[in-house]
Amino acid sequence: MARYLISRTLQILLTLFAFICIVYFIVNAQPGDISNVYAMNPELPPDARERLQSQFGLNEPLWKQFLVYVRNVFTGSFGVSFSFYPRTVADVIAERLPRTVALFFTATVFSFYLGFLLGKIIAWKRGGWTEYATTIGGVTLYTVFTPWFALMMIWLFAFKAGWFPIGKFLDPVLWRDAPIEANTLFGRMMLTALALSIIVFVVFVITTRLRIGGARLIQLGSIVVSIGIMLGAWRLTGHGHLAWDIVKHMVLPVFTLTLISFAGTMLLTRNSMLETMREDFVLAARAKGLPEKAVRDKHVARNALLPVVTSLVFSLAFAVDGGVIIESVFSWPGMGQTLVSAAVAEDLPLAVGAFVFVGIFVLLAHLAVDVIYVFLDPRIRY
Amino acid sequence: MSGYPLLAVEDLTMHYQTRAGEVCAVDGVSLSLERGQSLGLVGESGCGKSSLALALLRLQPENAQILRGKVLLDGVDLVSLSEEEMRTYRWNRIAMVFQSAMNALDPVYRVGDQIIEALEQHSNAARQDMVDRVGELYKLVNLSPNFIQRYPHEYSGGMKQRAIIAMALACEPDLIIADEPTTALDVIVQDHILREFGNIRKELNMSMLYISHDMAVIAEVSDVVAVMYAGKIVEYGTAEEVFNKPIHPYTRALMSAFPSVTGEKHELATLGGEPPNPLDLPSGCHFHPRCPFATDMCAEQEPPTVRRGDHWADCWNPPED
Ligand SMILES: Nc1ncnc2c1ncn2[C@@H]1O[C@H](COP(=O)(O)OP(=O)(O)O)[C@@H](O)[C@H]1O
Ligand code: SF4
Ligand SMILES: [Mg+2]
Repeated sequence: MARYLISRTLQILLTLFAFICIVYFIVNAQPGDISNVYAMNPELPPDARERLQSQFGLNEPLWKQFLVYVRNVFTGSFGVSFSFYPRTVADVIAERLPRTVALFFTATVFSFYLGFLLGKIIAWKRGGWTEYATTIGGVTLYTVFTPWFALMMIWLFAFKAGWFPIGKFLDPVLWRDAPIEANTLFGRMMLTALALSIIVFVVFVITTRLRIGGARLIQLGSIVVSIGIMLGAWRLTGHGHLAWDIVKHMVLPVFTLTLISFAGTMLLTRNSMLETMREDFVLAARAKGLPEKAVRDKHVARNALLPVVTSLVFSLAFAVDGGVIIESVFSWPGMGQTLVSAAVAEDLPLAVGAFVFVGIFVLLAHLAVDVIYVFLDPRIRY
Repeated sequence: MSGYPLLAVEDLTMHYQTRAGEVCAVDGVSLSLERGQSLGLVGESGCGKSSLALALLRLQPENAQILRGKVLLDGVDLVSLSEEEMRTYRWNRIAMVFQSAMNALDPVYRVGDQIIEALEQHSNAARQDMVDRVGELYKLVNLSPNFIQRYPHEYSGGMKQRAIIAMALACEPDLIIADEPTTALDVIVQDHILREFGNIRKELNMSMLYISHDMAVIAEVSDVVAVMYAGKIVEYGTAEEVFNKPIHPYTRALMSAFPSVTGEKHELATLGGEPPNPLDLPSGCHFHPRCPFATDMCAEQEPPTVRRGDHWADCWNPPED
């Protein structure tokens, strides 16, 4: 396993380097640079434009610029952003990336869970109206024009019902005199979520491994207790209402993303279930006298899960391009928005940087899925 | 105990619903099997052996329907039980060794845990007792206890076969159904496992329904033989009677394909032709298009049952006794 991880890391670094080169040249192949933004400004004399270009090093030959960029990558700054001058690209991205990761990670977990659950159910009870309703509903949501659907969600739940805020990451009025930076707070929220999932995961692993009676109850109890402790701790910090504000802003985009993407997992799960149901070990499980629910969950669904997890990697690509749209509609200041605004502002370093970080994220997620797979399928050993 | 035989099947009939029409895979089958006895069910591929086996456990696929008949286990009719009650009979009273035993183990669980899963379902014993029981079973089928904690893909074909036999023995069932359990193995391994399995079964006084298309195998393992053709039992009797004095031409044809069984040469040519299309069965005796003794009568009317003691067969033109 250690050897595998090392070789995979090297592989990822090589892929990443190739990716950086390609992205760099493609982004630079488009006409214009930061000075174009001022080109329409009649007050800007031509020599000022040239000065601007030479200041950013844009009059150098492209290969020289590229070498400078590579150096910047290795020093970790990824260059200076033109539109956020003098902040570095790494700095801008460090602020934006966690928001996107939080949004999409949560939505991916929800949509995977929902899709798998529904897929399992419709595969088991075939031919009923539930199957038709769920399939048609899911496929409709899956293929719907995303910006329109996102706007409808905002209109319905934020504007009409008023349950959620209309877009954005936080409520500026609430945060005007806040004693803490939004990003610092958000970082702590993410740490809390991470701690919570680790605790729950450990409890689940321990209770299933040890086969203690009433495992379900212990699991449920541990979830409730740890959530309670976390909430209490947040209250004590005095920043609870601020954190709650961010959570409220997250709900609608996560819900929307979940709705438009769960059907992919659902249909895959359904097919995978139908395939697995034909296996002999399923017949054997029935012959052993197991109740239908145990046959479905312990044997069919457990094996049907494997190809569905593999597909998770591919759905990540969907998450990235859907991200630009969803973030724009919800004014969510994450990577998608950063990418769009960098492109509009001809902020080439930031655009390249944003692509590169999306690339890093996808590669790491891919690695994570590979590692998870080792735990899911005993036949896979590295 | 009761005066019932362990297993009595009466007029069992099962149909498959297919797009092309109805397939009558099990057609009025009647059988009986005493405790400790072994019944060999033989017939060409596609004649309905596996369908019959699944119907006994009520594990037939969704498109199948048991139309009529009874499956009496110790006098209790399994066909009329609720699904819930039926589950308590599966594996606990009737266990099965499947046709494709190679794939009957779930690849994501340790083999030992899969055996324990069956034990848990039918007893309230402490976990340690179940673990000990798995150890015993492994010893019984000659598997190294080191493999209890391994996954199926780490087993060889023969080992999987043994593990599956161990699993079938786990709850000490009254009846084990073995559906061509060894076809995926090479002949030597097959023979070896078969003998061991036969000995264990006799020691534990379990009954067995052994299914095969291979007369030689049936000869080796059965006390009683039933010959199946196109969904029907066409001949039934003790192994001695059926092999020494077969009545039905189909049985004789099957045996001539394996002359080693009786040692002597048969005048019959090996079985020609194809098994009939189940959607369009020949009239009268289903075997008549392939039968060297067929007469006009055979194509017109179903053959009568010829009885010689407990040994019987359905045929218009049985050989002289
Ligand atoms: N699920 C099914 N649906 C429709 N027909 C089936 C199904 N399973 C088996 N059959 C048909 O039933 C007949 C008996 O099959 P089977 O019981 O598997 O025979 P055997 O085990 O003797 O080879 C065959 O004609 C087969 O095509
Ligand atoms: S009834 Fe006729 S066709 Fe059928 S087996 Fe006997 S002789 Fe052959
Ligand atoms: Mg078969």
